[in-house]
Amino acid sequence: MTTDGIKFDRSLLGVEHPIGTIEVTGEMIEEYARVTGAADSSVASPALCSMFTQTITRPDIKLEFGSMGLFAGEAIDSLSPIRSGDVLEGRTMLKEVYAKTGRSGKMVFTVWETSFARRDGELVARVRESFVQRESKRQ
Amino acid sequence: MSDREFYFEDVEMGDDIGPVERTITGEQVRAFVGLWGGDSGANRFTSDEAAIEEGLPGAIVPGAMNVGIIAHAITGWAPNATLKTLDLVFRQMVRHNVPYQIVGIVTDKADGEQQIECDVWMEGPDGTRLVIGKATAVLPARS
Repeated sequence: MTTDGIKFDRSLLGVEHPIGTIEVTGEMIEEYARVTGAADSSVASPALCSMFTQTITRPDIKLEFGSMGLFAGEAIDSLSPIRSGDVLEGRTMLKEVYAKTGRSGKMVFTVWETSFARRDGELVARVRESFVQRESKRQ
Repeated sequence: MSDREFYFEDVEMGDDIGPVERTITGEQVRAFVGLWGGDSGANRFTSDEAAIEEGLPGAIVPGAMNVGIIAHAITGWAPNATLKTLDLVFRQMVRHNVPYQIVGIVTDKADGEQQIECDVWMEGPDGTRLVIGKATAVLPARS
């Protein structure tokens, strides 16, 4: 892994950005469970946070590489049960940017960490998402 | 899905989780995208044409949806388990209308914490592992 030669806005590394609040509803928990095939539950799957991160508008890191971005990985740490009625405040942060070279050529990975906390500050989950940027095969 | 309760003492290293078979339809993907208020128009998740235009082989299942499906395969196996961590790597794209299997195996037990660790993966009909990872979950003790 290397960061040499990757052009992006390094000032964003390690800087937290508020991403707003999410009010967890019973309907949201039920619908998420239905779509992903879970049993009904009053407690949300911690994987629900994975869906919350889809709503985030992250700062543009101005990465100068590749033309196609894909989801590469995700790690969720569940720290406290999420229930209907919870109001969660999210914060996201660029953790790292690195390059790897594989069979299909060079790829650049961008890792964001997003945390969700109740209004009293209790952390309920931390989500680390990796995105890979590579050249499109169509080019 | 299992409807029986699992206790920490019932689980042994090497126990299988699943397999759970899932064929994810375009309709389910659209419902998932709608949940987060995503673009309901043609995009890489909902349209073969839009996906191919981006250089993909066809419409793909959102990674976040696969995360949920794999998480629920674990909690479906042990409904009284509390999922603590889930760490997944997406090696290949997950497509619509393909019969996938979500499989796991218990790899470790931590007695003090009543915590189990398992390898989990989603595999295609040819056995190729498209999504791989690890999970930890806490189970209640029988005693």
